[in-house]
Amino acid sequence: MSARRVVALLRRLVQELHRDRRSMALLFLAPIVLTGLMAYVLRGQLVTPVSAVVVNQAGQPGAAIVGALEGAMRTDGGTVTEAPDRAAADAALRDGTASIAIVVPADFVARLATGNEPSLTVITPGLEPTADSQQVISLQRAIATAVTQALPAAGLHLPRLDAQTLYGTPDSDVVDHLAPVFLGFFAYFFVYILTGISFLRERVGGTLERLLATPVSRGEIVLGYSLGFGLFATIQVLVLLGWTLLDVRVPAIGPLAAFSVGLAVPVAGSAGLAFLVVMLLALGAVSLGILLSTFARTELQVVQFIPLVIVPQALLSGVLFPVSSMPDILQAIARVLPLTYATDGLRQVVIRGADLGYGPLQLDVLVLAAFVAVFAVLASATIRREVV
Amino acid sequence: MQTVAMGLVPAVQAIDLRKSFGELHAVDGVSFELAAGRIYGVLGPNGSGKTTLIRMLTGLGRPTAGEARVLGVQMPSRTNLARIGYMTQSDGIYPELTAAENARFFGAMYGIRDPDAAEAALAVVELSDRAGALASQLSGGLRRRLSLACALVHRPPVLFLDEPTVGVDPALRAQFWAYFHELARDGTTIVVSSHVMDEADRCDELLFMRAGRVIAQGSGGELRARAGTSDLEQAFLQFSAQGPAA
Repeated sequence: MSARRVVALLRRLVQELHRDRRSMALLFLAPIVLTGLMAYVLRGQLVTPVSAVVVNQAGQPGAAIVGALEGAMRTDGGTVTEAPDRAAADAALRDGTASIAIVVPADFVARLATGNEPSLTVITPGLEPTADSQQVISLQRAIATAVTQALPAAGLHLPRLDAQTLYGTPDSDVVDHLAPVFLGFFAYFFVYILTGISFLRERVGGTLERLLATPVSRGEIVLGYSLGFGLFATIQVLVLLGWTLLDVRVPAIGPLAAFSVGLAVPVAGSAGLAFLVVMLLALGAVSLGILLSTFARTELQVVQFIPLVIVPQALLSGVLFPVSSMPDILQAIARVLPLTYATDGLRQVVIRGADLGYGPLQLDVLVLAAFVAVFAVLASATIRREVV
Repeated sequence: MQTVAMGLVPAVQAIDLRKSFGELHAVDGVSFELAAGRIYGVLGPNGSGKTTLIRMLTGLGRPTAGEARVLGVQMPSRTNLARIGYMTQSDGIYPELTAAENARFFGAMYGIRDPDAAEAALAVVELSDRAGALASQLSGGLRRRLSLACALVHRPPVLFLDEPTVGVDPALRAQFWAYFHELARDGTTIVVSSHVMDEADRCDELLFMRAGRVIAQGSGGELRARAGTSDLEQAFLQFSAQGPAA
């Protein structure tokens, strides 16, 4: 063991890293930027004002409670409308004029007065669980205020909330909501890595120079790459989609307990449409990989783009936190991220069961198609014949 | 093509060709005309502008000023690339493909439909028996041969070879020059860059380059006679001292 040799190794590493400014910056800046962004997203979460629709089935006695509830919600900055029945309330949720519905049952006032397990039915869309629960929390505050106002004696027996969702099954869990979205995210991520590294090899291995000395056009290169990696993305998405939807229950055999294979996520809409959304995203990722490989000299540097390009998208595009509750600046950023539209599109198809006739889904698909086109043009612009 | 063969249009032509990278004049006013079916050696030390010159002639670099013409067509021209072969300094082959797959791929890029073209190119460099081997498993010398085969697959009338024999052992180097002469006999114009003077006598004509300029052009014998020395290395140094060719 020679101390001099060990120190020489240490010194060499310091010298190398010191000259690789980008790795240095990444080591210190990236964690600060990313945790900062995360803190901004989490702390900056706006308490979105409740836009509620109330169905009063308790007649005249219920009116006082409903009135107090409406007052409390308006004080919090929310908006409240009344609907004659449950069907009208569901319709308001469906077309987006309300984000939460409250049904006051016929026996509500009587039960509240006697403290006999009063309960309210609360219906949320069920597309974004995080956004829904924020609405429910705001509502609970309003209910507490309203109940103590209208019936001071009942203050100790706050009503139980019977939560229902418009879309999805009542027993849907967090996996049901996250799996479709992660499907898009992973396809995007892996296709980017695969293309980025593969195209970087073309650039540094001298084969790109050689390719450009043939009559091949830049458009042909980008199209060829898109088809090639598009093929792998297709297989990947089919496998992932299959795994997500698969629900094979294997019964107990002898000492072996029963188990199930697959994530068994129910899909409300067409699996083909979900596939289209993910494919558009993956094709965009091919061009993104080609584009970013311009700015990398080593495979390590392609990987270094992950915290700069992929992670912020995961934070901002609604995969984990609802876009609607982010500060305005972050919402504006989210609106230019392709993953935002893929996330929304997948939710619309898988949970809401939307088809291509539905406006918001049309927008998602159009934006993703535009993303594919724009990045393909940008990518082919970076494949210059003149590589200085 | 016909006019080229008859010698009316030079196979390769540079007209006051210049390329600057900021303050650096990598190629600084180069003019020459190269005839069809001959082997030209572009000789000069590292950094004398050989690669930059070849990149402009193959359309990979756009001249800052002047003109580069190949077979009468001004470069860069994408369609003209089908008539030009280019072997880069690095091997520029796909390591995960076999030798035959590499040759076939570049054949397709050059628009070749003949299914036997790849095999024929491999035969020229005597790689037929390794056609099925992965490029990554070939030795350095064999990879250079494959690289040459990929530049020949479309039987181009003009071939640019950027330092083709760097890192190649003497036996293979002799073999390479045998291939080049064979191709030249069939009418191919070959431009070879090198910084090794002992390869110079294998060329029909030499262009000495220094600091972005051609300082002398002629056959090895002519250049020796003009410099009054029997050693090309000495001749180069003498032309260097005199400055650019008048």
